[in-house]
Amino acid sequence: MTEASFYAALAAASDGVAGCSQKDAVWESGKLRLYRYRPIARPTGGVPLLIVYALVNRPYMLDLQEDRSLIRGLLAQGVDVYLIDWGYPDGADRLTTLADYIDDYLAGCVNQILKARRLSALNLLGVCQGGVLSLCFAALHPQRVRNLITMVTPVDFHTPTDLLSKWVSKIDIAAWVNNGNVSGDALNQLFLSLMPFRLTQQKYMHLLAGSPDRAQIENFMRVEQWIFDSPDQAGAAFREFVTWFYQENRLVQNCVAIGGRKIDLRALRLPMLNLIGTRDHLVPPNASLALQRLVGSADYTALEFDLGHIGMYISARAQREVPAAIANWLAPR
Amino acid sequence: MDRDLWRQWQELASLWAPATPDSQARFGGDGALGLGSFKDAAERFTTAARSFLDGAADASAPAAGEAARAFSEFLREQFADYRLPWSSGIGAGSSNSAPPPSMGDSPAFGATREHQQRWQRMTEASRRIDAAQRRLQRLWSDALREAAAAFAARLAPPHPSGVSAEALRKLYDAWIDCAEEAYARVAHGDAFCNALAEYVNASSQWRRELQAGIEHLAKLLDLPTRSEINTLTQRLKSVEQLLRAAQNKRKPRVAAASRTRPARRKAKQ
Repeated sequence: MTEASFYAALAAASDGVAGCSQKDAVWESGKLRLYRYRPIARPTGGVPLLIVYALVNRPYMLDLQEDRSLIRGLLAQGVDVYLIDWGYPDGADRLTTLADYIDDYLAGCVNQILKARRLSALNLLGVCQGGVLSLCFAALHPQRVRNLITMVTPVDFHTPTDLLSKWVSKIDIAAWVNNGNVSGDALNQLFLSLMPFRLTQQKYMHLLAGSPDRAQIENFMRVEQWIFDSPDQAGAAFREFVTWFYQENRLVQNCVAIGGRKIDLRALRLPMLNLIGTRDHLVPPNASLALQRLVGSADYTALEFDLGHIGMYISARAQREVPAAIANWLAPR
Repeated sequence: MDRDLWRQWQELASLWAPATPDSQARFGGDGALGLGSFKDAAERFTTAARSFLDGAADASAPAAGEAARAFSEFLREQFADYRLPWSSGIGAGSSNSAPPPSMGDSPAFGATREHQQRWQRMTEASRRIDAAQRRLQRLWSDALREAAAAFAARLAPPHPSGVSAEALRKLYDAWIDCAEEAYARVAHGDAFCNALAEYVNASSQWRRELQAGIEHLAKLLDLPTRSEINTLTQRLKSVEQLLRAAQNKRKPRVAAASRTRPARRKAKQ
């Protein structure tokens, strides 16, 4: 590839549209959109799966391109997939709390699906921070969740290798938020600072030194777009999340309350699948593995993959193994 | 040194340069942003690596060791001014702006007492930001020094001749490994965590005082302030909550259905 064509490929890929699977918006509330994906394989006829993604990044990472799509993998397994897109909070959302996200937005999506499908319970897949939201929802509304899957989800925020937790331990979060939103760009800087040499230098060097073809450039740019497409965070929810979970480790202390109601993970008796990336630098494996000792479920399975945080979504190995693992685990349940 | 190898790396370096005015505009061809900013770094790495490999391959053990040390020091210097959050504004404090003139600890009094105090607090916050930034930069420098030493140790004894492009790439990756390992040790330490927290906390205070000053001016001009908008937002949220609670009371509970399997008849969606 010549220099000119390299830049042309970069330029073309930078305008790419993320998301590859067909979906329909089936409900909305404020900036939130609930999507249902169109099937690409014979449906298993099982209970629908609602994916609850994190607030800190955009959910299209789960459906980046045809050969890098957890959602497409699930659809190929016949799973009926719904996804919450939280949208981009703005200044008017600064007072939105975790209770709003869990008890209004997430509960609204669940209710909508249950009503439309005439069910009493569905399956939840919480990803990263979305896993924490899902755990809280399941604890508050156990009758509405049939099976709970958590993926790269932190539960114990005070494990020794959790650098983010150490960094925020002495930060005055209320003063930082100051009744406003928290800039997504600032958070991105923080995430990049966890491994600055790899994330801001080496990956670009590898792209160029690897003599990438057009497809590789497009792949790279899609991930690049996702990484830096970071919504601002609703101030109140951010303050609560960092204070309660990162600073006070309340899930482990068993003292989380959402909207005045206690979250008791020990009361969670439903079947649970916990998916962990053993090379995850954002959510250390031990932070996720702690879930087993905190919940009351007798049907608990943890699956570890030799992958990093992002690799759990888009690596070739993840495409081969993660959707199948989820579908196989769900099938008898 | 294999000419082909250096040609490959020069070609690699040239890729980092913008090709056309259009691409310069897209990718920040001034070198400040985008891929264009990597061109010089790639060229400098190429030159330094060539010096090291030539020295390591041809010279005696002490000279090779010196070549390794010089190469490590070069890499350390390359990253010394790297911009991390504390130098680009994780909070609101502007690290590049000069701190406001000191108003000392003199007691504030008179009609402008409140404003004097606010400026004193801003001055103090600015001083704290500056001090925290210097502590963080010092720790960053410590990490680079440690990385350089580890890298030099990894490079000695002299690298065997017959270097390939892959070997050159491994050299670069080895530096990145050393740098990340050294940085992780520093970043996990109390000194770093304390300095980072101090930087963010001082930035928060600086921003709060600045906002207060701007709100004061806005009130003088009868412009809406953020505090007023927050108050209205809070009232609206309270009304929404009341409305939602009233609606929920009227709705029959969804969980009335007892089945957990899908209905036979497909729902519309």
